[in-house]
Amino acid sequence: MRIGVFICHCGSNIGGTVDCKSVAEESYAFPDVVFSTDTMYACSEPGQQGIIDAIKEHNLSGVVVASCTPRMHEPTFRRAVERAGLNRYMFEMANIREHVSWIGKNKDANTNKAAELVRMAVSKLRLNRDLHSKSFPVTKRVLVIGGGVAGIQAALDCADAGLDVVLVEREPSIGGKMSKLDKTFPTVDCSSCILGPRMVDVAQHPNITLYAAAEVESVSGYVGNFEVTVRKKATYVDWDKCTGCGLCTEKCPSKKSFDRFNEGVGPTTAIIIPFPQAIPKKASITRDACRQFTKGKCGVCAKICPTGAINYEQQDELVSMKVGGIVAATGYDLMDWTVYEEYGAGRYPDVITSLQYERLLSASGPTGGHVKRPSDGKEPKNVVFIQCVGSRDVSIGRPYCSGFCCMYTAKQAILTKDHIPDSQSFVFYMDIRSPGKGYDEFTRRVQEEYGAQYIRGRVSLIYPKGDKLIVRGVDTLMGGQQVDVEADLVVLAVGGEATQGSPQLAEKLRISYDSYGFFMEGHPKLKPVETNTAGVFLAGSCQGLKDIPSSVAQGSAAAAKAIGLLSKDMLASDPQIAQVDMKRCVGCGKCIQVCPFKAIKEVDVRGQIKAEVIETVCQGCGLCNATCPQGAVQLSHFTDNQILAEVEALCRF
Amino acid sequence: MGMQKELQAAIKAILPEVDCVIGWGSGPDPLHGAPLFMRSEDDANRFASGFFAVNNPALFLPEYKGKKVAVVVKGCDARSVGQLLSEGLIKREEVSLIGFPCQGVVDHDKVAAALGEKGEMGEVTAVLEEGDALVLTLRGETVRLNKADVTAEKCMRCQYPNAHIADTFVGEKREPVATADDFADLAVFEAMSLEERQAFWEKEMSRCIRCYACRNACPLCVCRDHCVATSRDPSWLTQADSVKDKLFFQVIHATHLAGRCTGCGECQRACPVGIPVLLLKRSLARSVEKLFAYRAGIDEGTPPLLTFTLEEPTIKERSW
Amino acid sequence: MSVLEGKELRIVGFLCNWCSYGGADTAGVGRFSQPTDLRIVRVPCSGRINPLFIMKALLSGADGVLVSGCHPRDCHYAEGNYYARRRLEVLKGLLPTLGIDPRRFEYTWVSASEGQRWQHVVDTFTQQVHTLGPAKRLPDAPELAALAARLEPLRN
Repeated sequence: MRIGVFICHCGSNIGGTVDCKSVAEESYAFPDVVFSTDTMYACSEPGQQGIIDAIKEHNLSGVVVASCTPRMHEPTFRRAVERAGLNRYMFEMANIREHVSWIGKNKDANTNKAAELVRMAVSKLRLNRDLHSKSFPVTKRVLVIGGGVAGIQAALDCADAGLDVVLVEREPSIGGKMSKLDKTFPTVDCSSCILGPRMVDVAQHPNITLYAAAEVESVSGYVGNFEVTVRKKATYVDWDKCTGCGLCTEKCPSKKSFDRFNEGVGPTTAIIIPFPQAIPKKASITRDACRQFTKGKCGVCAKICPTGAINYEQQDELVSMKVGGIVAATGYDLMDWTVYEEYGAGRYPDVITSLQYERLLSASGPTGGHVKRPSDGKEPKNVVFIQCVGSRDVSIGRPYCSGFCCMYTAKQAILTKDHIPDSQSFVFYMDIRSPGKGYDEFTRRVQEEYGAQYIRGRVSLIYPKGDKLIVRGVDTLMGGQQVDVEADLVVLAVGGEATQGSPQLAEKLRISYDSYGFFMEGHPKLKPVETNTAGVFLAGSCQGLKDIPSSVAQGSAAAAKAIGLLSKDMLASDPQIAQVDMKRCVGCGKCIQVCPFKAIKEVDVRGQIKAEVIETVCQGCGLCNATCPQGAVQLSHFTDNQILAEVEALCRF
Repeated sequence: MGMQKELQAAIKAILPEVDCVIGWGSGPDPLHGAPLFMRSEDDANRFASGFFAVNNPALFLPEYKGKKVAVVVKGCDARSVGQLLSEGLIKREEVSLIGFPCQGVVDHDKVAAALGEKGEMGEVTAVLEEGDALVLTLRGETVRLNKADVTAEKCMRCQYPNAHIADTFVGEKREPVATADDFADLAVFEAMSLEERQAFWEKEMSRCIRCYACRNACPLCVCRDHCVATSRDPSWLTQADSVKDKLFFQVIHATHLAGRCTGCGECQRACPVGIPVLLLKRSLARSVEKLFAYRAGIDEGTPPLLTFTLEEPTIKERSW
Repeated sequence: MSVLEGKELRIVGFLCNWCSYGGADTAGVGRFSQPTDLRIVRVPCSGRINPLFIMKALLSGADGVLVSGCHPRDCHYAEGNYYARRRLEVLKGLLPTLGIDPRRFEYTWVSASEGQRWQHVVDTFTQQVHTLGPAKRLPDAPELAALAARLEPLRN
């Protein structure tokens, strides 16, 4: 083998603390090295050309570049050696920047270490083999999980680009949290007026298949060809027949069901259409509340339904499909604020969440848009808002800022004044966080034009006094003075958390999630919608709490990534996968047992059982390789011999 | 000799159903038994169980995959069979087990040591078992040995003398010698400092002749001709006669047996230069029992290193 | 080329590509200074690490070996680190029987974002190995090693 070594100065990034020239000279002593030089910027155009020229001039069959991390420029240099006619895998990198020059100041030690890393790379390269990708066809269909505003945006963008889209929503209607909002900040425009048409677009788009009241049951396969099974939950209404006329909901005798859409503000019927603009506008039965199920007799809806759509015998249904890419847009839930004893832990009916307040404000809500407090239906005059309930609170394990509460609280204070002109709003806050276009102006307007009284401090206690609630807090801008406010209604700006089931879904999708259950993006800055699992993208609050504009932006961004991925007819497989040496395999099946991807199968070779890797399914983790006692399974590009060569290069002296 | 006759009857009863019955017969001298492959009643008449039926017949089972065989097993042999079964290396329906209450087997090293000046094992012309004693004839004299003094170490801590899996069990089950493994043998070894232990292995392994008898005697070393010890790709070992390579082979052997080794001790018994190679496997078995409450060959389910749990309460991860 | 005599010890690291190698990069980007003893071998997943790689290093003269993978539940390949955890823990238990101080080998989890944690791990482990000092070397087979060296050029 004829190896060329290139030691990059990276300007002074490496050259400052590594003697690159001497590393290049030393490299001549390593086996098979026939050419070695230092270069100012190996990744630059002239730097790459230098490598290409050297390959041709010195007839090199392999190249080592010592520079930055391979996570940065390995693809760059692989393309370069490929341009010079070598196989892209006849290339190794030594990381002498992140792992050497940037973490140590002793030039002698750094230079020595850099040379050893080069020796290690050379030792591995000597055992590298040409590897070739295989191309495989992709399924031009995208699965979007979650029909909130982020998922809707992603679905529409993908569908408009000509892709088939399958949108799966857990609730009986799409719309997500945004559909529950009365108005949106900072424009105070009607939420359903802007979201409604988008929801209708989803329903009418020829490329979108919508599964509401459905969840992702399982995911297998890999980028370009995922196999997805969706569980359509029994709604006990045949949606093909249901016209959404709503007759059943009017006549249903069971009227005490928990109203999920209205956040439990007032009860609802056992058979429901969640809200007037629901998409799909179909009825579904809440089993636990329905007399037919709890008492065994009723059947009113079945009798009255003009199309005979009611089916008490309906079962969950599993639907399987192939998709090429997946967008997760599963949103968030409000955290359970009843952990706060000081706010009454749920004992006081007039202490409500911000989302419940949205429903009281909404014209389509249970009170028809008249703000009536839950306890006695009276119109409140003094409304107290408490911010950061379940946000920025280390004591309950929620140290993060939910990001949108400052803004929606300001909006709700404005709406309070609009609905009840003689009302007074008080807002207890920690800091007002309002970065965003027109956001800070908005929080000033609520104070200056709408007279909301902002008190900087935490609330230590809420207690009832007559038909009022006394909110005791502190005003830190008034020297820590205690403040008691007599409130008719208290609205808690409850923070968000990863939606229920997020870790389980993450595990199905094989993506990472943080300690709070939010999905991990591929890179916090440069890959905000990708995940480390190829073909799976993120949109909206499932990745971290965010407001509507950011969710929509991310929905479009995730769609763009999915569209980009599926714009190709064929994808190239990564050839760094496991291979079985049939001669050496004894068919013990241990590799099959441990493979996380079911990528190894048993085959019968002339009466003998052998393992065989399914090339398109293998992800290249190498677990099988480490498991096989006789080393008959080897992970290409990370074989036992290659790793052993690296170890030996480091340990021999 | 009632046991011997009963076992022979059981063997004869199963002969028509199987290709072969694996057990023991007499060996090259009165102190040694040897594996016996029985295909006829005549063969069965040569079957000999007892104190000298040392070999682990489970060793041969993977070779018979696809054929139906019966095997006579001591308690420890049955553990090996159990482990082969739980790894799917043999099929339950292809193996019929004949168990019996094992009274322990001989350790030839101990016999040689006990004979000392009196002569070599090869000079023994007759052996009689008289209760707790062995009566040896050599150089025209009789030598009485206490059986307990020449019994294998593994028998002294035996928890499973009665084959725990058996299709036919001959005789009355006996009480186990011990109720738990206290790993006292390891405690003796561990009285040495780390430096002493390293020196110990250096000295022991310098005697190794790389014959791989230890591996070849192991019923769970199913790689056979494809062992990494001698393969070029992957090339884990050089062929150099260095302590490093020889010790590394023992580490490979032991590591490949982690969570699988049942402690039958055949590796150590097979070693022609008397290196205590079982120690490494015992150490791993202790870890595996402690960490995963798993005793190879006894406990059912996936061997612990081929599976995992999300939380590992017994693994104390370093806090840093 | 030898280690900086008397100053550095031989420490080999095996890091998974997705989390810990990234964490070490993050430490570099953050200029979190670390001792220079460690040399990192990049592998796709901690599940790829055959415990015998660690033994190979330790028996070949490494004074310490450090393995780092993704935190449990975060494995890029979903399960690799769970297997690694069991296998590495079992290996660690074997070291004292071989006469090797178990503190010469540690395994841990570092995510791609935990640059500072990586610095701490490297600092702590390097210090730990320095406290133990150089490991005792097993003798090679000298004459054969010399022969092998002479034959080396013929191999190609």
